[in-house]
Amino acid sequence: MPAPAPADDLETGRKTSHAAPTQRRREVFLLLGPAVFYLLAFSVYPLAVSLARSFQDYDTTANTWTWIGTGNYRELFTSPEFWQVVKHTMVLTFAGVTIQVVLGTALALFFNQQLRGATLVRGIMILPMLLTPVVVGLMWRMLLNPEWGLLNWVFVELGFGQIGWLTDPNVALWTLVMVDSWQWTPFVFVIVYARLQALPEEVFEAGSVDGANWFQRTRYLTLPLLVPAIVFAAVFRGIDAFRTFDLVYGLTNGGPVQSTSTLSFEAFQNGFEFFRYGYASAIAYVMVIVAMIGITVLFRIVNPRKLQNV
Amino acid sequence: MRIVGRIISYAVLVLIGLIGIAPFLYLLVLSSKARIDVLEVPPSLDFNWAQIKENYDVVINEKHYLTFVKNSIIITGVSTVFALVLGVPAGYAFSRLRFRGSETWASTILSFRFMPPVAVAIPIFLLIQHLGLTNSHLGLILPYIAFSLPLVIWIMIGFFDEIPIEIDEAAMMDGLTRPQVLFKVLLPLARPGMVVSATFGLIFIWNEFLLGLYVINSSEKETIPIAAASLLTVESPIDWNIAAAVGVLTVIPILFFTIVVQRYIVRGLTAGAVR
Repeated sequence: MPAPAPADDLETGRKTSHAAPTQRRREVFLLLGPAVFYLLAFSVYPLAVSLARSFQDYDTTANTWTWIGTGNYRELFTSPEFWQVVKHTMVLTFAGVTIQVVLGTALALFFNQQLRGATLVRGIMILPMLLTPVVVGLMWRMLLNPEWGLLNWVFVELGFGQIGWLTDPNVALWTLVMVDSWQWTPFVFVIVYARLQALPEEVFEAGSVDGANWFQRTRYLTLPLLVPAIVFAAVFRGIDAFRTFDLVYGLTNGGPVQSTSTLSFEAFQNGFEFFRYGYASAIAYVMVIVAMIGITVLFRIVNPRKLQNV
Repeated sequence: MRIVGRIISYAVLVLIGLIGIAPFLYLLVLSSKARIDVLEVPPSLDFNWAQIKENYDVVINEKHYLTFVKNSIIITGVSTVFALVLGVPAGYAFSRLRFRGSETWASTILSFRFMPPVAVAIPIFLLIQHLGLTNSHLGLILPYIAFSLPLVIWIMIGFFDEIPIEIDEAAMMDGLTRPQVLFKVLLPLARPGMVVSATFGLIFIWNEFLLGLYVINSSEKETIPIAAASLLTVESPIDWNIAAAVGVLTVIPILFFTIVVQRYIVRGLTAGAVR
């Protein structure tokens, strides 16, 4: 327990401590210090080490590190495999998020009517996001099993023929996009729906009085008001989709023939399976830089403290 | 015309619910089948009550599933408690004390929430190895606290911002110090925020996978996702009925948890807090 504050430090203004500088510094240090030191040790330090390692080469047999300058990055940027992986990650991020934004917004508009049982269905929709990704991968591997999978069977019966969901290199990435969308469309829905619920009644009343039909009201009144929430959900989801790892591991393990490997998965394989720690760190750092750009965009759109009010 | 619209709406509603829950129901059905019956075409959705005990018996007794549940509960629980212990005062400080660079500090901490886990996984793995904590609960707890801390701070800032500052002022008039104001007066008021951040911390840590895969290398220390992965990714032929039972048992704790804290989850999601 710290010593009681001197009487003249008791006065505070809105959001501001008028306490004497030393007193305030001690308060900040006391309340914030532990968290900051903890993050320094287990977040900042590892990130700094990763940066250093990305300029080094690890020798597994001798257990030594050698500086090789930008060697890892040069290898990376000239490797066709890396660019393939970048492409997969981009498809997953942009195609996935586009699908999720469109469907999620449509769902929000759909749930903006009084329907019995809607609460239950909304509850069900939250579930996919909370599931362990490995299990999500397992579920879909079963549903899409080419011999006995239920969903695969339905598609065959409907006359689509046998689709190589997880075996055809041209299809597997889109299967990944589909499963990712199954899991994360509800996220966009929740954000957009919350915003929709917060819109003042007058918005809709004004439209009805003017005789606008549902489509016109949605297009010219509702949607423009939802844009901030939609953009927020899209950028947020984009940063998360960009670093997808677990789902790849559970659903496709990067295959067939590396056609679903993402940047995270590529870094993981190089680091933990081939023990190329330096090269893996370089991949990871490319990701860190892209993520930082994403975060900057996100924090430009919304003040981080005000995220709750989007 | 309006009736037709209503009917279509309800059909769509049922369809949405089905798409959401059908994969899980299918998993449940498969987990009740005998090994051979899984391979039936056309797929049958019969629930085989007689087989179900045998399948779950294999998972719980032969595969020692309860050990993994225990490991997951210990690791998730301890990490979340410590993340709150560190994160709640930090959230309070960011909400109430203005100091030089406080906004920058807050944004920087929040940005860790978005860092790709692979970028820290390798150094953390090497650090844990160096500390001799490989294959121990502590080896996962230490990094998991750091992983969920930004989330806790983020959510708590929002909740403290909603509590009128006049409450702090009144308490300080009464002679309480800052830490006393926080612990005696504000904590009870900020309880919903703590539940929300604990909820998301728990879900995130319960599902964490990448780091666990490498820090833990003996089956008796594995958490549920790692155990599930090692039971499931074994090269074929997989016993799909057993795999499905593993899947069901992995999901059920989350299911119950979700039902209990559902309203907090929506609150947390709109705070931008999932994962």
